[in-house]
Amino acid sequence: MDEIQYVGEHLLPGIIGNFALVLAFCTALLSAISYYYSTKPYADSKWSKMGRISFWIHGVSVITLIACIFYVMYNRMFEYRYVIEHVSDDLPMKYILSAFWEGQEGSFLLWMFWHVVLGFIFIRGKSMFESPVICILALIQLVLTSMLLGVYVGFGDSMYKLGSNPILLLRDTVDLPLFNNAEYVSLLKGNGLNPLLQNYWMTIHPPTLFLGFASTAFPFCLAIAGLWTKQHKAWLKPALRWSLFSGGILGIGILMGGAWAYEALTFGGYWAWDPVENTSLVPWIVLVAGIHTNLIAKSTGYSMRSTYAFYLMCFILILYSTFLTRSGILGDTSVHAFTEMGLEWQLVFMVVFFTSLAKLFFFFNWKNIPAPKTEEKFLSREFWMFIGALVLLFSAILITVSSSLPVFNKIMSFFDATYVGRVIEDPIPHYNKYQIWIGVFVALLSGISVFLRYGSRTIKLKTLFTHIAIGAILGVLLVYLFERWLGLHAWQYRVLMFACSFGVVSNLDYLISVIRGNLKLASSVCSHFGFSLMIIGVLASGLNEQVISSNSFLLDVEQSERLGNALPLYENIPMFMNGYWATYKGDTLEGFTRRYEVDIRKVDENNNTLEEYTMWPSAIYDKDMAKIAAFNPDKRHYWMEDIFVNAQVPSPKFDVKFAHEMEDTLRYNDYILTVGDTFKTENSIGILKSIDFEPKHKDFNMDDNDLGVGLSIEFQQDGKEEIYEANPSLGLKGNLVFQYPDKLDRLNMKMRIEDSFFETLFTPEQLIDFENKVLKQNETIDYKDFKITLSAFDRNPQNDLYEAQDGDIAIAAELTVLRKSDNKIFALDPIYVLREGRPFSIKDYEASSGLHVHFANINPQEENFEFKLGMDKRSSMSVPVQIAENMPATDFIIFEAKRFPGINFFWLGSTMMMLGLIFGFIRKLRNT
Amino acid sequence: MKKTHIVAIVMILVAAVILITASGDVSTYATFETAKISGDRVKIAGVFAKDRPMVYDPVKNANWFSFYLTDTDNKTEKVILLKAKPADFERSEQVILTGKYQEDTFVADEVLTKCPSKYKDEEIALRKKSPNKAIQ
Repeated sequence: MDEIQYVGEHLLPGIIGNFALVLAFCTALLSAISYYYSTKPYADSKWSKMGRISFWIHGVSVITLIACIFYVMYNRMFEYRYVIEHVSDDLPMKYILSAFWEGQEGSFLLWMFWHVVLGFIFIRGKSMFESPVICILALIQLVLTSMLLGVYVGFGDSMYKLGSNPILLLRDTVDLPLFNNAEYVSLLKGNGLNPLLQNYWMTIHPPTLFLGFASTAFPFCLAIAGLWTKQHKAWLKPALRWSLFSGGILGIGILMGGAWAYEALTFGGYWAWDPVENTSLVPWIVLVAGIHTNLIAKSTGYSMRSTYAFYLMCFILILYSTFLTRSGILGDTSVHAFTEMGLEWQLVFMVVFFTSLAKLFFFFNWKNIPAPKTEEKFLSREFWMFIGALVLLFSAILITVSSSLPVFNKIMSFFDATYVGRVIEDPIPHYNKYQIWIGVFVALLSGISVFLRYGSRTIKLKTLFTHIAIGAILGVLLVYLFERWLGLHAWQYRVLMFACSFGVVSNLDYLISVIRGNLKLASSVCSHFGFSLMIIGVLASGLNEQVISSNSFLLDVEQSERLGNALPLYENIPMFMNGYWATYKGDTLEGFTRRYEVDIRKVDENNNTLEEYTMWPSAIYDKDMAKIAAFNPDKRHYWMEDIFVNAQVPSPKFDVKFAHEMEDTLRYNDYILTVGDTFKTENSIGILKSIDFEPKHKDFNMDDNDLGVGLSIEFQQDGKEEIYEANPSLGLKGNLVFQYPDKLDRLNMKMRIEDSFFETLFTPEQLIDFENKVLKQNETIDYKDFKITLSAFDRNPQNDLYEAQDGDIAIAAELTVLRKSDNKIFALDPIYVLREGRPFSIKDYEASSGLHVHFANINPQEENFEFKLGMDKRSSMSVPVQIAENMPATDFIIFEAKRFPGINFFWLGSTMMMLGLIFGFIRKLRNT
Repeated sequence: MKKTHIVAIVMILVAAVILITASGDVSTYATFETAKISGDRVKIAGVFAKDRPMVYDPVKNANWFSFYLTDTDNKTEKVILLKAKPADFERSEQVILTGKYQEDTFVADEVLTKCPSKYKDEEIALRKKSPNKAIQ
């Protein structure tokens, strides 16, 4: 077959991108090898120079590749696979970054990008560990680049795909009959970005998190460098700096994920113990443990081995998290999972390779890592800090074991095909009940150990006990106050609250009495205080979240028992719930988002308004607008609490398919109505008030229709006072009849005029009593409610009903008609035709008034014109109407509202914890 | 023995105790059969039976939804979910319910629906209808 010459493809970015990709791979390898040789004793300085140059080229290649992908994405070149998967015509440019790292390949590149940037910074720092550190970093980059190669490697008969290339053409990745079309490019349109991810969190959360991920590589590389060069002391200082930075950024990245979940995605949750959340938290916990032992090692020489172990573990756990998230192994246990890329074994290799590497370095050097012969003193800071680090490790192990259950299942089913996978029934209580005690220990230890000193400079016992007593007494007081404010509900929570109160008080005590407000020394206080405050926030909001949207006035006992958190809220009918009045006002559609307007009025016991505001919970549609992808809550922040509201809608309102199915279940009854008729339906009494030729139906637009007819029917339910009006209507455009059914949600009623009504609408001629009228040009006459003026003539009449033939003489009279009752002016153009000597008349007709006009004759001698005028008998017209009374009401939302007290303690505390790390990092930078 | 070693040993013991107690938090997916026999709170994974009636009348009770579920043993039973009906329920591929039998009906209070390709559409979208219909 001949090669097809494709039209409209842009091949250059692909060529450059692929070249950069291969170059990045080769230079990473070259850099690793060169740096490896440069670590040899008496190595030629050319090796390190070569390593450096190749790392620079590697970095530039990675950035070039990213630039190429951005170029094709920005220009919407859908012939590229990555573009068609992640971009669409209507994707706003502000989401192009999000679209880039939505996919696995893009997020790998983002990670590699940060490695490159941080690597450049490290090289510029002229560290003594440059060679081993960048050697390992280049090795990491090599493995990561291999995830993007997209080449097939054969082992015997089996082919294995190595990586997934982000800059391939679509036609190189799939085989479709579409590619027989030389102009296929013009047919493509992109899938675009999931509307759920179209928000600013998706723009800021991944880069921060991946900067955190990337920065954990440096404590790892430095640890290996320390082992490699046996400079067990010298690496501690740069490692501490990097890990403080890393801990701060990674922590902020994780928090952003929590904030995203809290603000937008879920209903007020910031942490769900989801496996993906866990596996990004665990490296952070281990890193923080490492920071503590690093401080000990730097100050006292103890805990060097554990510092190595923690930093090595941290990065390996990052890789493990990458494996869990991207291999698809988590399956349905996580909401985060990426789409699978078929790289499971490559990811396994990555984890195994770096774990083995770390183990080799660690255990080969175990003996020569210095460790003091004597034990830590019992009342020394290093001892209790080390215990603290062990507690953190303990926490990390517990979380990892539980989150790894899917991996365990997979391994078991590998050996035993009939093995049935295990799941954690209720993840949140499962994790909480163990992590509570970690929280207790961490808060207590961080409260006590600040008063202790390193080494033999022991503190006077009396002073120590004084401080502990202050913390304990004020701690108990805080627990009491907290119970007064909210509630703790169980002794375990009281213990945790006491520990955290103690932590808060002790750290403030330390800040005031020991370092005397010296903020330069306060970074650890900031973090520890933040930790305790954060847990207080968790206790406040988690234990005391309150459902507002429950109705205590429901009479049906059985129902109110079962009733959970949601209530139906009818349009414009205020409902009272736990101190709030809520009124659903209606909805509006903006882009992919439908926003529901809910007015909230907070009242006191005497129904006096305390506060009034409007909230906008929303629903986000999927890409083709046929389904709702998610409901987004709206929230209102206060100092001491947040209010969350969520709206869901009954299915037929948004789901096109479901709406059709619902229509099929409706039971329509037929009625023939004339104006003034009172009629009985199943549950109501109706009166046809009028037939309107300018329909009142809210969706009816005369511009879209040539002709319209609508009804005004009033309904009253048996035994009720309220009267509801419905306006079912019909429109005619050309030959097509358009239905405008109307519904009355309150009466569960839906009704429509039968299409056939249009046929009867055109009243047969013989039923109209015509009156002859003679007019001269520009003469005006009165006829019933009308003033009719003969304004002009048209010798080439255009009318759908008149088809011109040769020899025809056709004249249209242009009549200007004024309806006196409402001063409406309209034109009528009846046509007079002489065909083969015989006269015809083509009637014109005005629908809204029912005026019919024939152009009957021309009297050339008297220069006058004969018209036949008549009115149809619309008041006696009978209209076939169909009414169903089993329609589910759709004028309401399912409303949920919750109150989260004290949530700001969580955000303030957790942010302080991370900022403490960043402050520590900045201080360490200043000191060098 | 060093103090830190004692602490480490205590932690290992605690960890062992925790692992033993935590095994109670873990279970396999149950079927209607096993859930009925045990009467415990379990997770049942299954497929929503599209051809059987489902009842959701948010006007009467927004937190009461009944439908039929076919479990992994291919047994179809009516279940009740004490929650608002999930938004994308009809197109769910798999439904995982957490709950237990109350009298003769499985009553769930937690639900997880898994939808086909949550984040990505597999098909290639075309600008207009093309003669190549075989595009998937």
